[in-house]
Amino acid sequence: MHRKMLIAFLLLGIPAFGAPDSQWTLEQSTLTYHVSHPLHQSEGVSHAARGKGVCHAAQCDFLIAVPVKSFDSGDSNRDLHMLQVTRGAQFPLVTVRTHLPEAASTSATVRADLEIQFAGQTVQYKQVAFQLVTQGNETRISGTVPATLTDFKIEPPTLLTMPVKNDIPVRVEMTWRPQ
Amino acid sequence: MLGNTPRDWRSGVPGVLVVCLLLTLAPSVIAQTAEPGALTGKVTDGSGGVVANATVTATSVDTGQSRSATTATDGTYKFDQMPPGSYRVKFEAAGFKTVEISSKVNGSETGVLDGKLEAGERVNGKPQEPLPNAPSSSTTAPSLQDLGLSPEQTQGNAQEQARLDKRTHMLKVHQRLGLITLAPLVATFITSANAGGKNTSTADRTTHLVLGAVSGDLYFMTAYYAIRAPRIAGTETRGPIRLHKAMAWIHGPGMLLTPILGAIAYDQKNKGEKVHGIASAHGPVAIVTGAAFGIAVMSVSFKF
Repeated sequence: MHRKMLIAFLLLGIPAFGAPDSQWTLEQSTLTYHVSHPLHQSEGVSHAARGKGVCHAAQCDFLIAVPVKSFDSGDSNRDLHMLQVTRGAQFPLVTVRTHLPEAASTSATVRADLEIQFAGQTVQYKQVAFQLVTQGNETRISGTVPATLTDFKIEPPTLLTMPVKNDIPVRVEMTWRPQ
Repeated sequence: MLGNTPRDWRSGVPGVLVVCLLLTLAPSVIAQTAEPGALTGKVTDGSGGVVANATVTATSVDTGQSRSATTATDGTYKFDQMPPGSYRVKFEAAGFKTVEISSKVNGSETGVLDGKLEAGERVNGKPQEPLPNAPSSSTTAPSLQDLGLSPEQTQGNAQEQARLDKRTHMLKVHQRLGLITLAPLVATFITSANAGGKNTSTADRTTHLVLGAVSGDLYFMTAYYAIRAPRIAGTETRGPIRLHKAMAWIHGPGMLLTPILGAIAYDQKNKGEKVHGIASAHGPVAIVTGAAFGIAVMSVSFKF
């Protein structure tokens, strides 16, 4: 009798074991890349990122994806050129994956290891610092990803034979909400 | 003075036209006569071992046309009869990360391009050592489908990329030719001071005419690369490019009208007449045209 109860208990427990403990959804986002040239500075902004976090056993996996062509610099010619040099038609998404302990959501600062897929390349950035502010049911995250063109094997665009700088820092501002 | 007769002016025009025609046709003639080349190489893995049955795809940046080949047991591949130009060569194999490399094929030469593949997430069905900062291998990790992205949003479009590549290539040529055009255009304006007025000579007028013809020829070559550059569907024109395009509606007709008016003025001067009638608009039209062209160049020069 006890054995049957134990088996029944275990069988009932299996679905609960596989189900996530909690989930996070990206509510709002602003991603801004910055490009520097000796004669010119420009920024491109996207609000089109989608993201989800799945937590299990106090560990969370996050995935964020943003279409490359959603970045808007206010100049359609530049945006198309950026789309071309980053091979945005062939690799239409920038995806970011990271893994954090669930307890990190209560910290003021987290350092995340990011795996970024962009322009056909997969690049890892270690210990990228993000600031967290929790208000009510929302957690706002901000930080800067120190991306470079060479990381993703992107040929630097040129103006009057002068290439843009290699650094293309991406400012990240996101609002997450638990489900 | 034989040089002042209209007959001499007319006899010089065919020569100028021939030069202009040759300048216009030169790029296409060169392209048509280029011999095909070849591309070969070997695909290896991180340890240097050859990778057989890897798919190698070469896509022409200029035309968007693709060719594929499979590596032999020794990891080699070869493309014959490749039209010269720039290519994006993609190396794919099961269990490896896809690698894409840009390459050039020169006419009647065999280029060598080796592909080195890094192990992907799984090789021969066995999971690889996880990357230091990779997400956990938990089956609960979210996927792109979980984000509500459609397959159209997640899958790449090689043809669209080829169109973008071709567009950028043509607009780069357009920009460079536009800057080159500025030189004879400025020289044409400088020589205009001696081409008109009372103390003018046939040589001054001819110099002005030739420089104007060269400017016009380069201008229309420049315009060709902009007009023929592929359009990208769903793109709304925003930013300085709007001014650039608006100026084309001024300098385009101006570049047609200016030489016509100039030819009439040239004829009148060679007849010993004072420039009169519609020909007297040659100068003002040229100034407006040149100014619009200058603004168009400046509007896109201070950005990449």
